[in-house]
Amino acid sequence: MKLHEFVVRRLLLLIPVMIGVAVFTFAVAQIIPGDPAALQCGDKCGLIVGYDDDGNPITAHQANRERLRLDDPVSIQFERYITDLINGDWGESQKNGRPVLDIIKTSAPVTLEMAFFSLMIAYPLGIFLGIISAVRQDRMFDHVSRFFAIAFVSLPIFWFAMLLQLYFATGPEVGGICDPIFGTEGGCFPIFDRHDQSYTYPVEGYHWFYPEAGTGFHLVDSWFVTDAKLAELPSEFDTNRELFMDTLTHLVLPCSALGIASSGSLLRYMRASLLEVLHEDYVRTARAKGLSEFRVVVVHACRNAMVPIVTILGFSIGGAIGGAVLTESVFGIHGMGTVAVLGILQLEYQIVMGVTLLTSVIFLLSNLIVDIAYAIVDPRVRLE
Amino acid sequence: MRDWEGGRNDREESRKRLLESLSMSIGNLGRGWKIYRRSLLAMLGLLMVLSVSMVAIFADEIAVQHPYRNLTDTEDKWTLNPDSQELPPFSEECSLRSQKISTDPRAASFSETVVAESGDKVGASIADGYYTDVLVVTEIIKIEDPKGYDQDISLITVDPNNSSIFVLSPELYGNSSHYPEVWIYYLFENSEMSHWWMPEGYDTCIFGTNKEGHDVFSKVVYGARVSLTIGITVATLTVTIGTIVGSISGYYGGRVDEVIMRICDVFFAIPGLILAMAFVAAMRSVSSLTLPVWLGVLLPVLMLAYFLNSHLSKTVLYGGGRVINQETWMQTDSTSLDNDFWSRWAFWRNFSIFKVNLNRSFMVGLLAFFFFVGWLPAVAWPDFFGISHSRGWRLTSSFVVIVLLSVIVLADRRFIQKDTLDGALGRLGSSFDWTNPWRYLNFRTVVVFLSMAILFKLSGNEGSEIILIKDFDKLWQVQFALIFTGWPGYARLIRGQVLYVKEMAFVEAAKSVGAPPSRIMFRHILPNAWAPLLVAFTLDIGGTILSASGLSFLGLGAAPYTAEWGLMISESRVAFQRAPHMMLYPGLAIAVTVLGFNLLGDGIRDVVDPKNRR
Repeated sequence: MKLHEFVVRRLLLLIPVMIGVAVFTFAVAQIIPGDPAALQCGDKCGLIVGYDDDGNPITAHQANRERLRLDDPVSIQFERYITDLINGDWGESQKNGRPVLDIIKTSAPVTLEMAFFSLMIAYPLGIFLGIISAVRQDRMFDHVSRFFAIAFVSLPIFWFAMLLQLYFATGPEVGGICDPIFGTEGGCFPIFDRHDQSYTYPVEGYHWFYPEAGTGFHLVDSWFVTDAKLAELPSEFDTNRELFMDTLTHLVLPCSALGIASSGSLLRYMRASLLEVLHEDYVRTARAKGLSEFRVVVVHACRNAMVPIVTILGFSIGGAIGGAVLTESVFGIHGMGTVAVLGILQLEYQIVMGVTLLTSVIFLLSNLIVDIAYAIVDPRVRLE
Repeated sequence: MRDWEGGRNDREESRKRLLESLSMSIGNLGRGWKIYRRSLLAMLGLLMVLSVSMVAIFADEIAVQHPYRNLTDTEDKWTLNPDSQELPPFSEECSLRSQKISTDPRAASFSETVVAESGDKVGASIADGYYTDVLVVTEIIKIEDPKGYDQDISLITVDPNNSSIFVLSPELYGNSSHYPEVWIYYLFENSEMSHWWMPEGYDTCIFGTNKEGHDVFSKVVYGARVSLTIGITVATLTVTIGTIVGSISGYYGGRVDEVIMRICDVFFAIPGLILAMAFVAAMRSVSSLTLPVWLGVLLPVLMLAYFLNSHLSKTVLYGGGRVINQETWMQTDSTSLDNDFWSRWAFWRNFSIFKVNLNRSFMVGLLAFFFFVGWLPAVAWPDFFGISHSRGWRLTSSFVVIVLLSVIVLADRRFIQKDTLDGALGRLGSSFDWTNPWRYLNFRTVVVFLSMAILFKLSGNEGSEIILIKDFDKLWQVQFALIFTGWPGYARLIRGQVLYVKEMAFVEAAKSVGAPPSRIMFRHILPNAWAPLLVAFTLDIGGTILSASGLSFLGLGAAPYTAEWGLMISESRVAFQRAPHMMLYPGLAIAVTVLGFNLLGDGIRDVVDPKNRR
């Protein structure tokens, strides 16, 4: 199979899965209790808003049902749902009428940013410790690091995040273990939110002061904030650099929580993979050539041991998004996880549908990219 | 007579084989244990799992404070204790209690002597429900009227003979200027609340108390019960579902496999936690899990059809399946008895009581027949499902079920292929092809569904639902959500195993002697594919506990005040900087439990790994 055939095949295989996900989200929305029409009009549902042709009064509730076309057969609703999805209309929030796509556009980059940086922590940490662990197999370091790997996998991530908050984001007088370094109050890292509280407006839910032209990725945005906007900010954030540092320091704790938790499994994968490779003939050859052990491990063995690690990147992204739900909840970050939880608690089925769809799209695409990369690196995969 | 001999030999043989296999498995266990013991971490994991299980089992004995179990509710309720809120660990104020005492002689609850008792203690059995526990008063701190003003302490004294009884002085209740009730604050001791392993003098609240005044230690102890229940039930059910689906997928392959695997792909495409959250949301208004009556009647019948099919056909139709085996039957069928219609039914020839042919399978078949076909639908089903007891219902249901089972039994290929009704039934028989899943499932399921629909229509009962789980509370919802999200993983795992084992020679052999798919699956393939399943099961218990606590943490899991670890952490969030003990210990408990299961799973993996078998 040629590479482009492989890619096309994988893309075609994606279609039934995407349809399945759409069916699933639609089914969940159908099952979720609560009348979206009633949710929208709240306590004014009995209000008469007009009269139909026969002169019968129409309540706000009925008008809403009419507008949302909830009385249609399920099949027609599903058809409409799919066409709307394709046309980019993902519905709107029942509470404040904000389009779901808009909500997701502002929240998804936050989560992705977090997932990205957590993987940036997890991969080097996991791979590095995994290599040492494999090289020093069955020694003290190996046992200890393996124990910690399993322990980090077993930690409830929300609890771990709270521990980080307790020890690194509060002052020594309360129980923290470090002094402020980044101009934060309490501990060395900020405890809450994505920005300093003095220039975010938590009143209307989520607000980032530079949303219109921005990419949604706060780190990128903060670097490109215009001077006019900067002038409105408190004095300690009046340069782009300070703003950037502020957004970056707010990422440290959540990303560490996520990253350390997922580095455990990476360590185990890396160790197993490297141990397998170290028994190969070419490693023995390399040793026989008289190469230094460092060179044998890092250049000869690791390069091959890393290949399987790349494949689990796709899954780690999915895991990071799942873990982000809990981490965001602890750190009060308004990413996709928070949006999903709020949507579920308030029975906003459109939001739940949107978030589920988007996360699955991200997951599938990342897996696709990883698979294609794998096929490029390892041509044997294509032959299957 | 040869058959009797053969039967006896068979029995001895099978007994011998059973013993052999038992001793072999014990030997295997011993060998496995030797491998397992080598790993320190695995032993640590076993220790952790065992101790958590012990804590869960003996929670009533270990905990110092106990939940109040409502008889109509499955959840443990914790009474609020306003006296000791957010106390740090080892606080002496934990043994402070307040009690309301009536001082109005005219009140029904008035008494000159009042027993000092705790508010929460669970009885020896669930039926005892809730009773109070007598406390030993060590010191009266203060007496307060309802307005909050202190009263004279000497108005109430402790009985010198029995230090758990307050004696009210006549001054208190005789004086009309007093309020009709007072609050009394006292320090107490309670033998129930002290254990030999607890530090002296700090019997209560070694982990501190939470915002509601609950002892964190007791809640953590009871939380082990909740978490282990969730973990084990969910893991067991996901394994069951995943095994069934995965083995069907792997064994039949083709379109079945394709469809099932695409469904699994959909499940994998959505991150597990978000999927579980959506599912919990979808089930929020479900207060009791019900099943439509027709499905409730259909399921047992389907199961019967599946499990008893071969048995019934063998016992009932071939007269025990031993006297006339298929070959001899075919011979008689084709030669001497060709003209006599009834004598072609070997059933009648061997069913006479004179030819005593009561071997075991025959008896079992007969009993099963009368139990399920006769007694259950006519008498017991209405009781089981709470539906109408009318005469018409009983008659129709028993009639239809008998007809139905006959159809199922007759549909067996091994019967129908032998008949000679001008090939008509023979053609029908070929449509009940054991080896073709589609045809088999299609035809038989259609027959069963149709019969059940008729049965349901005829029965004319009013109730439309059978209640499976009455209190479908939040924990159940979490469990269902986790089962719902968990099975595809197992399905994939088992599918891979089945695909691997399916190619082996012994499966080929079993197929070639005509074993049905179910037998091949359960007797040949699954026993050879269990090893990774066991590992995944153990690891999954830990994973389930983690996910369940995560859901509870988000407010989508256990009901408020439940002793669920994730929920306890969530409740401590508002004050976790001020009172970190409220969140430290439940989290530690989750970590230890999950770590234990993970280490255990790793240890088992080392044992079942073929590389380690020497």
